[in-house]
Amino acid sequence: MIPLGAYLTVSAALFFIGMAGVLMRRNAVVILMCVELMLNAANLALVAFSRRLGSVDQRGSVFVTFVFVIAAAEVAVGLAIVLSAYRNRPTVDVDELRAMKG
Amino acid sequence: MFDFIEPIVFALLTLGIVSAGAAVVLINRITSAALLMAFTFLCVAGMFLLLGAETIALFQVLIYVGAITVLILYGVMFTPQQPRPYGLFFQKQTPAAAVFVAAIALPVLFFAFSFPDAKEPLARGGDLVPLATSLFGDFAFPFEVASVLLLAAMVGAIVLVKRDDDGSGVDQ
Repeated sequence: MIPLGAYLTVSAALFFIGMAGVLMRRNAVVILMCVELMLNAANLALVAFSRRLGSVDQRGSVFVTFVFVIAAAEVAVGLAIVLSAYRNRPTVDVDELRAMKG
Repeated sequence: MFDFIEPIVFALLTLGIVSAGAAVVLINRITSAALLMAFTFLCVAGMFLLLGAETIALFQVLIYVGAITVLILYGVMFTPQQPRPYGLFFQKQTPAAAVFVAAIALPVLFFAFSFPDAKEPLARGGDLVPLATSLFGDFAFPFEVASVLLLAAMVGAIVLVKRDDDGSGVDQ
């Protein structure tokens, strides 16, 4: 049986890959993809805890379904914001979208 | 007898998740990045199967690999992406961000191995029955709130991308 720590290590590695992408890339669409990677890493940790340490009702998996819902809503609204920002100024570069910066 | 298969599958899935995830961050062509993201989601679905959460793996393939990847690809299609010179690839604060991520990641990776493991694995037989029992029992109200959230997000996305010019639109 694979130990729980191995799953948590993979989850943490994927989370920090996504975090590095969010903090380092310029392209807004790639930043959305990396946010999805981070949410998926959190899902992996939740399912691992739920299957290994949870009781019979496995509430961690229930939280994972809610994370699915929130990820779908987040990517729809995020892409809508990126598209409307692109319509105002034709760029998806987050270093150039500084109209609201004080 | 076949106990050696599970670590091999786990190692292959880990290799797929980490390498494809790193490629999403590092690759310059955005369509390839989106498809590699879908591959990462497929490998995570394999991890869910390995953990015995078949229903979650099915949701993962349906929602992430199906819906979210298609949505991201639509976003790529509507914002013309030209390959950038590598000097414009990362943001300006990249060194500070890399140090920040590493400073948080190293203690967390060290901490991940300190969790106690379960004494015996859960009983097989799938996770559909316990998942549905929780979801439609104790979590029925959050389930309904989630549907309201999805409706609000759908209406909000439509309103955000609706053209507000007075031309040949169908504005009210």
